[in-house]
Amino acid sequence: MKNIPSSMRERKRYIAFEVLSAEKIDRSELISELWSSASSLLGDVGANSCNLWVLDFDGRRGILRCAHDRTAMVRAALATINRVHGTRVGIRVLGTSGTVKSVTEKFMRQVDYSKDTIN
Amino acid sequence: MPNYYDLNVHSSPECEDPPERLISVAKRCGYTAIAITNHSNLWGEVTGEGVISGIEIVADKISGLKKKIEIYRPKVDVLLVHGGDPKINRAAVENSEVDILAHPSHYFNHVLAKFAAENEVAIEFNLDEIIYTRGVPRVRALSAFQRNLKIARKFDVSMTITSGARSQYDLRAPRELIALAGLFGMSESEAVGALSETPWNIVTRNRKKKRPGYVMDGVELL
Repeated sequence: MKNIPSSMRERKRYIAFEVLSAEKIDRSELISELWSSASSLLGDVGANSCNLWVLDFDGRRGILRCAHDRTAMVRAALATINRVHGTRVGIRVLGTSGTVKSVTEKFMRQVDYSKDTIN
Repeated sequence: MPNYYDLNVHSSPECEDPPERLISVAKRCGYTAIAITNHSNLWGEVTGEGVISGIEIVADKISGLKKKIEIYRPKVDVLLVHGGDPKINRAAVENSEVDILAHPSHYFNHVLAKFAAENEVAIEFNLDEIIYTRGVPRVRALSAFQRNLKIARKFDVSMTITSGARSQYDLRAPRELIALAGLFGMSESEAVGALSETPWNIVTRNRKKKRPGYVMDGVELL
């Protein structure tokens, strides 16, 4: 099947985040907790509209994809995550950006909060 | 970028983590300083870089509350009253020695708001209720926040946003708290003010009062 043309794809934002926890967090457990938190806070309809997808997660830092106009909601959903599979965690957003490349360059290497915006 | 302050954080001995640990996490989150506000029954003086000394006074009677305010007021830079009880909420907003009425819950109305505005008592939006509950309790918390926000706007009461953190994992970065405050209708500029300007005004006001020679606002012995 042919790929959808780029002009017709949904617009996205990429969110770099960091997990604070005593133990390393498993990727699949984090994803299931993210979905459960998002659907609890925003409802099934709201969680769907965010178009969430975890691209990359190494146990501490990761990149999340969401709809471009839903970053504030996703931030709120991330903030309500307090446990992953029984381990206490706190999630911190490092920054948001429009492409994977720029989010990696801007926030995954060195954190600069002054470049981050809420939306 | 404004300087952000979280004015309700609990440390050891009340909770698990020592103040130093909480401050290092808070700094990484983007805070300039946090207030260590242990409950009055477990209070101890905490000072240091990035710390605002604070207290959250717990009392079940108005007489006890007044006594505790008198004892602790000269010792701290920010004084919170553990709210949630209608009588305590009322006594707190009537007392100009109080800086913040913490988590007033549903018991905040136009009468209390008038007193709060007059006595410069800020009301707190303690977002740990949104972070740690789910379902019906969270809906109740959100509805109380929404209602209090509407009243506070109408009577021009100062507002503060706090995490109410009881461990290093409970601290949330300013932008996350702003996003959470957006869930009950607080605008971005209001939320930024509630995390930066309002807390800093409270702290500077109190530090000024503690200076030797202070008589009243605008009058000092030199």
